[in-house]
Amino acid sequence: MNRLLIDVGSTYFKVSSQENIEQHFRDFNKDILDDLKFKCSKTIECYKKDDVYICSSANGGLSTLIIGLTNSFSLKYAKNIAFNSGINIIESVMYQNLADYSIPSDLIDVVIIVGGINTNKDIFKDDLYEYLKMLNYSNIVFVGCENEAQKLEKNIQNLVILPNIIDEKLHIVEENLKEYLTNLYQLDIEGKEDIKNLYEITANQIYSTPYIVNKTLPFIHIKFGVVDPFILIDIGGATTDIHYSKDLVDDNIVTENEYDRLVFKKLGVYKSKESLIFAAQNNEFVYELLSYLKVTENIFSDESQKGTKVLMQLAIFLVLTKMSHYKQSYINLKLLSINSIVFTGGITKVLSASEIEEIISFFYKKILNSQHNPMTVLDSNYDIWTIGVKGDDNVN
Amino acid sequence: MKVVTGVVGNDIHVVANRLIELSLNARGFEVFNLGVNTYLEEFFDAVVETGAEVLLISSLNGEAEGWSREIKLLKASYKNLDNLVMMIGGNLVVGSGDADEIVPKYKNYGFDLVFHQVDLNTGLDTLEEYLKQRGMR
Ligand code: B12
Repeated sequence: MNRLLIDVGSTYFKVSSQENIEQHFRDFNKDILDDLKFKCSKTIECYKKDDVYICSSANGGLSTLIIGLTNSFSLKYAKNIAFNSGINIIESVMYQNLADYSIPSDLIDVVIIVGGINTNKDIFKDDLYEYLKMLNYSNIVFVGCENEAQKLEKNIQNLVILPNIIDEKLHIVEENLKEYLTNLYQLDIEGKEDIKNLYEITANQIYSTPYIVNKTLPFIHIKFGVVDPFILIDIGGATTDIHYSKDLVDDNIVTENEYDRLVFKKLGVYKSKESLIFAAQNNEFVYELLSYLKVTENIFSDESQKGTKVLMQLAIFLVLTKMSHYKQSYINLKLLSINSIVFTGGITKVLSASEIEEIISFFYKKILNSQHNPMTVLDSNYDIWTIGVKGDDNVN
Repeated sequence: MKVVTGVVGNDIHVVANRLIELSLNARGFEVFNLGVNTYLEEFFDAVVETGAEVLLISSLNGEAEGWSREIKLLKASYKNLDNLVMMIGGNLVVGSGDADEIVPKYKNYGFDLVFHQVDLNTGLDTLEEYLKQRGMR
């Protein structure tokens, strides 16, 4: 069946038909629909509304603030669920240190309160209500200890109560919170004027891009010679996404999902260029890396294609470093066990396989002291996204 | 009464850990077993999430000492762990060692009950006695 697939990103959009894929930088003075029509009206006109599929990673999705008890359980589990629901902006606050955090001034789309197994008690006190009074939020949900629910409901207006995401064995229970967040995300996308207008050209539901990519991963072998286990890196204009299979983490998170997602906000090559450069300058290996690439620090102010290339190479290096055991973080992947690294998104249009491989081998040698060299797979034709959008007919 | 247990650090000796879970259950404790390969922060975090009264750490391969030096500092960063009963046992040093030296050292690291190469049941009897004395059981 002939379909038109459209992906709206923070920096550019892609339009994929049976014949070819077009990619255009977005014009931020225009509404997305006008911009699309201006640049690809000929293509769009050829398709019926039923045959147009759109997904969007623009607008960053929902912003979330998680208040939890500990890094190893409640905060970690809630973060994991939020990432897997497609959420990019996550701030977390450790309840016992509530007083030490500055109050975010921006409107928060959803506040998540979590902590304690169901048989625990007397966890949350008045300081929580005081803190919440200072916040500016649209939704609030409690997914912690059952014994605390009634008390919190009495003290917090419009509190949604869902089953605990931590079970009696300290394992994660994802489904309820994930469904809640995915629905909110969906409502948010639909509510955005810009996106709403897109329903003028499609009769199908508009999904978030990470949701689509995650759906594709179990079927990735249809199109690519990917050797398991693998990770997928999507370096975008505003954020960098990593999708990884569960067997790559030693972790107390045991779920049904085969793949998890992690987002590095403020790590992108256009919108978040400044913070990418900042992160690079704070990495002790970066000057060695630059000299390995035969460039100097001046490259950061270079607006040419060469500058973008180096920024993307840096982004790969930083992301791998952040996920490695070299830096203790939210999640550390067993990078010595991976056999393939798949790249998707704009990077595949800018860097060649050998330019990517250069960085990967530098990373393994420098940071992990290893000759390990996973295979690089480039999704230069956006097949991952196409498989996902087309959904099940692909697979069956 | 709730007990969090596990084997500290990179230690993977699992047999004693399984026995500890069984024995604690048989003695009527509610057990949260974090298994082998557990880091200090995870132990304390599990205590916070469960509301456990006892933390029982075991260590077999000799690496406990390195970790134990960090306990006071880490524990101080938690606001509600003052009444936690802390217990450790197994092989607490590399080699056989002398319990008369080892026990005071570990008490100084912040443990209430220390069992170097002591049989599990003896250790658990002592725990129950200790809890009784403190009026916790
Ligand atoms: C089986 C075994 C292994 C297996 C473990 C398999 C597994 N997944 O469990 C393998 C081969 C993988 C292994 C590896 C290693 N092992 Co090993 N291993 C043993 C062995 C032979 C038996 C352990 C066992 O299961 N015993 C049965 C259980 C029931 O007894 P237990 O562990 O002693 O526990 C009892 C008590 O200690 C006590 N107890 C334990 N915890 C607690 C807690 C409290 C509160 C209390 C009260 C009591 C208590 O109660 C238990 C029941 O009475 C012992 C030697 C021995 N005979 O004990 C060495 C031994 C533990 N291993 C040792 C070493 C050094 C290693 C390695 C470092 C070897 C190496 N160089 O690679 C690695 C470390 C791996 C790692 N990352 O931890 C040393 C530790 C020496 C030390 N502490 O100074 C031992 C003692 C051997 C020796 N004599 O040198 N090992």
